Order: sequence, then C-alpha cells, then structure tokens
Amino acid sequence: MTVSQRRLRTILAGVVVILIAGPVGTAVVLGVVYGESPCILCWAQRTSMILIGLVGLFVLRYGPRPRYLGMAVLLGTSGVFMALRHSALHLARDVGQGFAAPIFGIHTYVWSGFIHWTVLAVIGVLLLLLRRDSAEGWRPELSRTGRFSMGLFVVVVGANALQAFASTGPPPFIGQSDPVRFSFNPRHWVWSLDEWTGGAISWRGSWTVSEPDVAALDPDPAHGPLAGLPSLAISRWEQIGVGLEGTLTDLARDPESGRFLAVTDRHGVYLLDSTLSRRLHHVILDPGYSIDLSPLAGAAFLGGDTLAVLATNKSYVLLRPDPAADADLEWRHFLATDGGVTELQLGRFATVRARQMYVMSLAYDSAADELVTLTVPSPRHRRLVVSRFSRRDLMLASEHVPATAAGLTPSTPDRTTLADYVVTGAVVADGLLYAVSAAYSTVLVADPQGRMVRAAYAVPGLMRPIGLAARGPQLLVAQADGRIAVVERPVP
Amino acid sequence: MEFLDLLIILWAAWLVWRRPERERLAFRLLVVACLIMALLFLVGTRTSLVPGVNI
Repeated sequence: MTVSQRRLRTILAGVVVILIAGPVGTAVVLGVVYGESPCILCWAQRTSMILIGLVGLFVLRYGPRPRYLGMAVLLGTSGVFMALRHSALHLARDVGQGFAAPIFGIHTYVWSGFIHWTVLAVIGVLLLLLRRDSAEGWRPELSRTGRFSMGLFVVVVGANALQAFASTGPPPFIGQSDPVRFSFNPRHWVWSLDEWTGGAISWRGSWTVSEPDVAALDPDPAHGPLAGLPSLAISRWEQIGVGLEGTLTDLARDPESGRFLAVTDRHGVYLLDSTLSRRLHHVILDPGYSIDLSPLAGAAFLGGDTLAVLATNKSYVLLRPDPAADADLEWRHFLATDGGVTELQLGRFATVRARQMYVMSLAYDSAADELVTLTVPSPRHRRLVVSRFSRRDLMLASEHVPATAAGLTPSTPDRTTLADYVVTGAVVADGLLYAVSAAYSTVLVADPQGRMVRAAYAVPGLMRPIGLAARGPQLLVAQADGRIAVVERPVP
Repeated sequence: MEFLDLLIILWAAWLVWRRPERERLAFRLLVVACLIMALLFLVGTRTSLVPGVNI
C-alpha cells in the first residue's frame, strides 16, 4: 500500500492540525483559562512540538525533501530525550505527586514524550507508504486543508508567543523552573534571569557519587573533626587464620555461637568458627545475577542461622547454612560454594536521607529486630545517616542524622559535622550502637536509634579498619589485612 | 528568550505560507529556532544533563 502526493498532502496537513490544535493549542488554553504556566523545560518541549509542526508546513509547501525529514527525526528524538530528562524529576515520586495539573491522569511532561514518540512513529509509517514518485514534481500550491493548517499554526503559535511574553518576558529574560500562574495583569508577571546564573555543568548532578575507597583516608585520630578524645588501647592482635578470596571488608560475630562471618570485596562470604581458624562454610556470590551487588562491605548474624551480607550499594543477601542445599538450585546464586549454603533472599534497601550514598557497615539490633546501616560521605553528599530496617519486611523503619553530644568538642569551629568520619564497621551491643571509622581511627558510640553520638574514642595504632564486632566486653576491630585489634568496649 | 524563539518560528512560518520563494531563509530560521530551544533546555538542565535516575 502506498500514498499518492495528493493523499500525502492531506495526511500531512491533518498531522499538523492535530499537533498544533491538540497539545500546543491545549497548552495555551491551560495557561490562559486555568493559569497554568510552563516551566523552562516545559517551554522547550512545547517549542519542540511547534518546530515539528513547522517542519510539517515545510513539507506541505516544498515536498518531502531529505533535510526536512532529517530535521523532523532529530526533533522527535531530542523531544523524547527532553521528556525523559524532565519526567525523571517526578516519575519516581509517590502516588499523585506530579508537577502541575495532569491531563487525563497524565502530566504534560509525560504527554510530551508520548507525542514525540508518536511523531517518530508517524514519520516511519509515512516513509514506508511513500511512493517513489510522491516527492517528484511536488506542486507548491496549497490545498484548502494546507492553507487552514498554515493559518491555524500562525494563530496558535502567536498565542503561545503572547503567553511566553507574559510569563517569561523579552530576551534576555528566560523561563523559570518554578513559574507562577499566568495572569493578564502585568503586575503579576515575573520576568527572571535566575536560570542563566548559578550551578556548575554536570552530566549526572547529585548522582555523581564515586564508589567509596578507604585507601586514601587519614588514619591519624589527631586530625579528626573531634578534639580531645579519650583513647582506647589495643590490648592484643588476633588474625583470621584461613585464606579468603579477596580482601576482607567486614567481620561480624554471633553472640550465641561465637562464630564469625567474614565478607570480602570479591563477594566472598565465609562462616568461620569461634577461633577464626576454621572455615565452616563459604560461598562466592554471583554479583551479576539479578540485583547488582557492588563489593560487599557489611555482615551480620540475624539470629538463628540467618546470615546477612550487604554490598556498598545497599543491596543485601540473606543466606543460611543448609546441609541439604540443592546444588542445582543454588548454582545460579554462587560462583563457588562448599555446597552447604542456601540463598534465602536478595534485595535492596531503600532509604530516604541516605539516598545517593554508599554504606560500608551493617549491624543487627536483636532487641528491636532491625538491621542498621551507616552511610559514608562523598563530595556530593557530606553527612552521616543511620538507617534502620525492619527484619520483618526489610523496609526502612527509621532514619536519623545523629547529633553530637554536648561533651564532644569540634577540633576547629568549622568542623562540626560527623560526616568527616567514614564508618566502615558497626555493631549493636548492650543497647548501644558502636561504629568504627576508617578515617581518623575513631570509635563512635551512639544510642541504638542513631539519634545522638554520645561518645567517641581514638584508637591509635589502627590502619584504616574495615569491620567491627563485639565479643563480651571487647570490641574486635578488623583490618583489611585480616588482623583484628582487640580493645575494651567502652560503655559511656 | 522563549518569546524570541516563538517569534522566529512565526517568522519562518509566515515565509513558508506567504513568501514561499524565501525557502532558504525560512529553513535557516527553523535551524536557529531549534538551536535556541536546545540552548534553553541545556540552560535548564545544565546541573544534571542526563536524567537523574539510576541509569
């Protein structure tokens, strides 16, 4: 099936009329009648639709020349991208939380994406149906529908220009990110230059967060953000006595059985005996199967035989030693296994204040039956956030940016934040949350909810610790080389 | 700036409708209008050029 030149003219005129009278015309009505003003991104998307209509007029007048079709495809693809970029600001918000009024339940920035996508589809269909001779001998005379589409275009775009003058102003004034409602009264007009100023150019903005790396951190407690801290002396060193695949990244201890759980940056999970000298079970997780697993950085016993391991991107895996593990069923989960471990669950912790931040610690509060994580800072997001997740549904239970107790003194007036610490290990013991920082070799002690850091202790002699466990009155501070410093557990 | 962009588009449309022999100028205006639109969108999104999601 093909279309003749005459039919192509009619179809094109119809497309221009639909595009201009539909979304572009409706947008003006929304502005004039309902006072809805487009933001700077909405204006760009609306202008893109108008430009596609203008290309349609070119084709009506001069025929389907390649440069017109190329321009239409470019506008369609850029329009889809603009809609994605704009919609991304709002798509992940909660139900009903859009920006400005929806039309038929869908917001205008999403409609724009659908319309640009449809334009591309229409161009594709027309090209498929175009006869070889459709473009030859194109007559520049306009049909009645052609003239109507041109006149409609001028009227609707003229109305848009008037709305643009009122709501954005003449050059160099520019559209706003959060515009006020449209008004015919010039006293209510807001002409702004704000969008021209401020804000560095960035590909990903607040999503520019590099993976945490403790190698370059300063281990000297004297350089930390808190001054005059009491010291905890290392009473002795212990050592993990078995070989691990990768570098140790966290250590947990089961208070009931005395067993240890060690994880590595190469997704190794090791269940060790109470002397750290015998491997009871081990697996190498498959980081590419299903949910992304960045390097593991947290480990915890959840009571009974349930083991929890956490990746820096807050993806977690629940495991259980299981003598009857089905090797074929578990093959998909593990790159290597001793055959005695079953994967119970693979998931991702969702946070609010800790969003866009990595974590390097995991603790389990058995009294509340909640898991606890603490964020590590990045140049984009400098704060310490304590997040707690219910063991029942593994959803966020509470989240706090801890305050600092009155007795803790900043080392300099401008360093009043705990975010300079890089927490790489955490444990809950006797109703207190203990956290160790790889930066400045410091142990922080907070209430279990993480509302306030009550005390902090320097631990001279540590070299960028990566894990923390409790053993009765002792804290076990693990380092990446497998050495474990034993210090007395303070109870402030 | 949006006002200026729409005026340029109107000018191009007028040429196509009433002065079809000025095709070259009309197409240049179309290109200029596209560039202004792209510039304005970049100004509005320069702090995060790609969608702010987990890409």
